[in-house]
Amino acid sequence: MKGVDQYWRYSFVGALLCAAAIGIVLRIIGIQADPEKLKQLEAQIEQVTKEQKTIVPARGQIYDRWGNLLAGNKKVYEIGVELQDVEDPQFIAHAVSMIVPNISYEYVFTMASLKPSPSAVYATLTRFAPQEAVDKLELLKKQLEDEYAADGKSAPSLRGLIYKPHLERFYPEKALASNILGFVSRDNQGYFGVEERFNELLSGKVRTVMMPTDPNRVEEIPEVPNGASLVLTIEREVQLAMEEIIDDAVAETGSASGTLVVMNPKTGEIIAMATTPRIDLNEYWRLDEVFPPGSKIPFNRAVGQAYEPGSVFKPLTMAIALDTGAVTPDTVFVDTGSIEVGGIYIVNWNRGAWGPQDMTGCLQHSLNVCLAWVATQIGPNNFYRGLQAFGLGHLTGVDLAGEAPGRLKAPGDNDWFASDLGTNSFGQGVAATPIQMATAISAIANGGVMMAPKIVRSVINDGYQYDIEQRVIGMPIKPETARTLSEMLARSLEKESSDALVPGYRVAGKTGTAEIPIPGQGYTSNQTNASFVGWGPVDDPQFLVYVWLEKPSTSPWGSVVAAPVFRRAVEKLVIYLNLPPDDVRRRLSSSN
Amino acid sequence: MERLEYLAKSYTQAPWRRQLQLIGLFLLFLVLAALIAGIYLNVSAKTAIIGRDIQAKQRMIESLDRDIEDRTARLASILSVAEMEARARKLGFEQVQPEQIVYLKLPGYVERGAAILAPYAQKTVVSAPVMPAEYTESLFTWLRRQVPFTLSRLSEARP
Repeated sequence: MKGVDQYWRYSFVGALLCAAAIGIVLRIIGIQADPEKLKQLEAQIEQVTKEQKTIVPARGQIYDRWGNLLAGNKKVYEIGVELQDVEDPQFIAHAVSMIVPNISYEYVFTMASLKPSPSAVYATLTRFAPQEAVDKLELLKKQLEDEYAADGKSAPSLRGLIYKPHLERFYPEKALASNILGFVSRDNQGYFGVEERFNELLSGKVRTVMMPTDPNRVEEIPEVPNGASLVLTIEREVQLAMEEIIDDAVAETGSASGTLVVMNPKTGEIIAMATTPRIDLNEYWRLDEVFPPGSKIPFNRAVGQAYEPGSVFKPLTMAIALDTGAVTPDTVFVDTGSIEVGGIYIVNWNRGAWGPQDMTGCLQHSLNVCLAWVATQIGPNNFYRGLQAFGLGHLTGVDLAGEAPGRLKAPGDNDWFASDLGTNSFGQGVAATPIQMATAISAIANGGVMMAPKIVRSVINDGYQYDIEQRVIGMPIKPETARTLSEMLARSLEKESSDALVPGYRVAGKTGTAEIPIPGQGYTSNQTNASFVGWGPVDDPQFLVYVWLEKPSTSPWGSVVAAPVFRRAVEKLVIYLNLPPDDVRRRLSSSN
Repeated sequence: MERLEYLAKSYTQAPWRRQLQLIGLFLLFLVLAALIAGIYLNVSAKTAIIGRDIQAKQRMIESLDRDIEDRTARLASILSVAEMEARARKLGFEQVQPEQIVYLKLPGYVERGAAILAPYAQKTVVSAPVMPAEYTESLFTWLRRQVPFTLSRLSEARP
C-alpha cells in the first residue's frame, strides 16, 4: 500500500512540473506569436537596460579669410537638482540665485522643493550657466565641507545640485561683422546671415541612440561628425576699419543708417560688408532693442534693403548705351534743362541747362536730362534687356540669408509706363540693394565680366577643405565698353576734383543722390539717399567700394557726404590689401 | 569463477562503497561547478570593469572635445581684433599712414594665401611598404610559384 501511495505522490509532482513547463512553453509561443506584445516587452526591457543618449555635434566654426575665429563654441552648464537627493532646498536657492546670473530665489526654491516621484526625478534650474558660476558653486561646496566637518556641526547642504556641461555659440569678436554672421539661438537654430543660410551644414546631424546601462554590454558611442566649418572671404581687420568708417560717417552726416560694401570685382569675393545698426551677437536677445519689431529695419541692409539708388545707376545706363552703339563717348548732347519722356518732364538736379555736353560731361555733371535722352536712344527693349543682364530685379545669390530681390519694372508690366524709361535711366523708380548695385557695377570694373558675389570661401567638412569656386554670372557688356566707361568715369572724377579721389591711386566712380519717395505722394520729401560707387586702381581693379548713407542731414548730396567716405575707405584698404600707389606699382612691375 | 562471484557479491553487499562513490561524484561536480562559476565571475567582473573604463574614456573624450572647443573660443577672444589693437596701442604702436609705407620688391617672396585649415580633399597615395607575397600566400601557392622559378634558374645555370 505504501508503495502505491508513493507512486501517486511522485506522479502528482511530476504532472505539476510538466504542467508548469507546458505553461511556460505556451507563454513563450504566445509572446513570440503576438508582435504587439513582443514590442511592448522589448520596450520594457530597453527601458530597464538602456538609457537614451542624444548626441549633439559641435556646431561648425566660422573663420575669416586668414583663419581668425569669428564664431566658435564655449562651454556652459546645465544646472539642475536630483530631487531625491535634495536635503536643503532653501540653501540651494540662496546659493544658486546669488551666484548664477538671471535666476531668482523663488524659482530655484520652488524647483528644488518638488516632491520626488516616478515622473519627477530631476528639475532643470538653468541651461546656460557660465563656467565661472559653476566654479563658484563648487568652491562654496568645498568651503562648507571644510568648515562644518571640522566643527562637527550639521552643514547647510548643496546636496542634489548637479551640473552638466554642453556647448553654446560664442562670438569672440562680439559685434564685428554681426550683420554678416547672424546668430544662433539657444535651441541651436541659426538666424540671419551665414548662420541661417548654412544652418544645416553648420549644425550637423543630431542623433539619439539607446546605450546599454549594463557595463557587460557596453557599446561604443556612435561617432557623430561635427558640423561643417566655414572660411569666409571677409578680412577681419578690413571689416573693423570699414565699420569704424561707416559709423563715423553716420554720426558726422546725421544719417539714419550707413552701408559700405567692399568687393573684389575680379572674383566677386566680399572683403567687407559694414552696415548699421549692429548687435553684440553674444547678447542676441537684445535684438528687439536694436531692431524694434515693426520697424522693418533689415538685419543686413546691404542685402536686405532695396532702395532707389539715384545717380549711381547712371553708369549702367551709359554702359548699355555704349555697348549697343546708341552713343559713343564723343556723342554731344545739348542740354536745354529739361526733356519730355512718356509725358513727363525730366529736369536736372539743379534744374539748370548745361548746354552741349559729351557723354563724359553728362556723367561728370550727373545730368538727368542727358541720361534720359540716352535711354530714349537705346530704346526700352534694349534698355531693360541690358538692365536684366546686369542682374537687376533678381537675387544675386550671395551666401547670406534675407536677400531682397529689388524691383525693376519692364515694358509689359502693369505698373510700367513710358515715362519710366526716362526716370529709370538715372536710378529713379527702380529699387536695388547695395549688393545688387555693387555686383552690377563690378562688371564695368572687371572688363564686362560679372562675378557672383560670394562670402563663403571654403567649407571644411569631414576633415577636408573644399573651396567654393568663383562663378561668372553674366557678361552684360563687351570688354571694350567696360574699359571705355571706366576711363570716362575716372576722368569725370578727376575733372570734378571729387572728394573721392585718393592721392596716388587712380579710381573710377560715380556719386548718387536720390530723392526718397513717400508711398502715395511721390517725391515730396527733402530727404535723400546719398551713395557713391567706385573702384580702383583703374588699370587693374582690386577693389570696388559701394557707399550708401540713408537720409543724411548735414547735406543731401552724395558728392558731399558719400564721396569722402569712399576716399577714407580706400585709404585704409590700400594699406590692408598691400596695394602700392600706381606709380610705385608700375615701377616695380617694369623692373621685372 | 567462484572467487569472482564472491568478490562481486561482497562488493554489492557493502553499501558504503556505493555511497562513497556517489559522494565523490557529487563533490567532483560541485568542484567543477564552483570552478566554472569562479571563472565566469572573474571574466564577467573584468568585462564589467573594462566596460566601465570604456564608458569613462568615452565621457573623457566628450569632455576633452568640449574643452578644446571652449579653449579655442577663449583664445580667439583674447586674440580678437579689438583686444589686439588695444594691446598694440598700449605697447606704443600706431597705425601706419600711407605716406610712411615703403614698397620693396623681394625676389622669391610669396604673398600669403587664404587660410588652409584642413587638407584639400583629393586622392591620397599611401606610401606604405609593400608586404612581400610570402606573408599572404598559402604554402601551395608559394610552391607553385617557386618550382618554375627554381627550374628556370637551374636551366640557366647549366653549362
